[in-house]
Amino acid sequence: MSSTTLLRTALPRAASSFSGRFTPRAAIQVRRATSSSTEYVPGGPIYKGTVNDPTSFPSPSKTHGSYHWAFERLLSASLVPMTAAAFVTTGSQYPLLDGLLGISLVMHSHIGFDSFLVDYVHKRKFPVLGPISSWALRTVTVGVLVGVYQFNTNDIGLTELIAKVWTA
Amino acid sequence: MQSVIKSSTLARARAFRTAQNVGGGVRSFASSARRSQAVPTEKPVLMKEFKIYRWNPDEPAKKPTLQSYTIDLNQTGPMILDALIKIKNEIDPTLTFRRSCREGICGSCAMNIDGQNTLACLCRTDRNVGKDAKVYPLPHMYIVKDLVPDLTLFYKQYKSIQPYLQNDNPPASGEFLQSQEERKKLDGLYECILCACCSTSCPSYWWNQDEYLGPATLMQAYRWIADSRDSYGAERKEKLQNEMSMYRCHTIFNCSRTCPKGLNPAAAIAKIKLELAAE
Repeated sequence: MSSTTLLRTALPRAASSFSGRFTPRAAIQVRRATSSSTEYVPGGPIYKGTVNDPTSFPSPSKTHGSYHWAFERLLSASLVPMTAAAFVTTGSQYPLLDGLLGISLVMHSHIGFDSFLVDYVHKRKFPVLGPISSWALRTVTVGVLVGVYQFNTNDIGLTELIAKVWTA
Repeated sequence: MQSVIKSSTLARARAFRTAQNVGGGVRSFASSARRSQAVPTEKPVLMKEFKIYRWNPDEPAKKPTLQSYTIDLNQTGPMILDALIKIKNEIDPTLTFRRSCREGICGSCAMNIDGQNTLACLCRTDRNVGKDAKVYPLPHMYIVKDLVPDLTLFYKQYKSIQPYLQNDNPPASGEFLQSQEERKKLDGLYECILCACCSTSCPSYWWNQDEYLGPATLMQAYRWIADSRDSYGAERKEKLQNEMSMYRCHTIFNCSRTCPKGLNPAAAIAKIKLELAAE
């Protein structure tokens, strides 16, 4: 057994003891490397290829890249005037604005939560928990959209609810 | 060598003359009154505690610990690196860290000092001895030993952005010519020494460093996108069109705050995002 192999087996252990915070994640995280410690684990100390090979890129997709980013930023920016407009108008008089605000808010939070999932429970590291949480988020978003629609059409609507809570 | 001998002979002759003047007779300088009155200026002892992260790969089962060293700041150079070298020379030769240029141009001595990623050679030791100095390796990296992080992935990522000039139509003769404005775009980008302080201060890089390139590499990606002599800008940009490579940057700005060279990787990443969005 060479010294490099010894070092490699030592590294994951050193990494897990680097800080106590990571121990729970390491326990949940599915480790594909069981017997052989030289197998690749996302975020682990073993690299794909040799030390002289560059890292690879995922296949390019503007939908996941710039379009997503631009949409997210435009949505965030347009929420500012929309919220301001909702303040000066009454929801029941402008149902279109109320509906648009409802959809935008839910989309905005969906993108925010999705970004959180990509950061912390990505499916490359959590092959089970990752997809479950993604689909849970999608379900919740659709549910909330339906709820907001029902609330806006059959009840007083978002804007007036906030106005009521504000003055209550 | 010749001149050294000559000057030392001269000095001895002068000393002899002084001794004669003072004592009146033939006396050696060492016992003269002036010599005995002369008191070397002594600085007060200023002991400061350094707590340094230690982990030895030869004892992998042993948990990393903070080891404490106390040294006299008045017998040490002004920078943290001077203190580390003094500790290694005089107290504990097993202390391991990287260093080379001691002037902030090689980027070897990047480490986490008092909670901030910086170069040990550019970081002044706090003269307040009431507070200890804590020295850790760069955060969230695999450790080779003590303060030495494994930067292999960092270099592999740097290699992946092809950090060299690519142009299929070089000028027929002579060099690539650039206007002053075009050259100015590279200022604040080319000075990066790849010390990895910014990347390892980025929470996104901590959680996703196997996929996210990190601020240092992304700033170098922009350095080649912005270069007017490079004709592969579209290819370079297309590589970043995915969820992970660049868009894991959430504008946290730790990179710009920590950069020991005063560069602004966050601005470079913002410019790439803008260029991609404007395509």
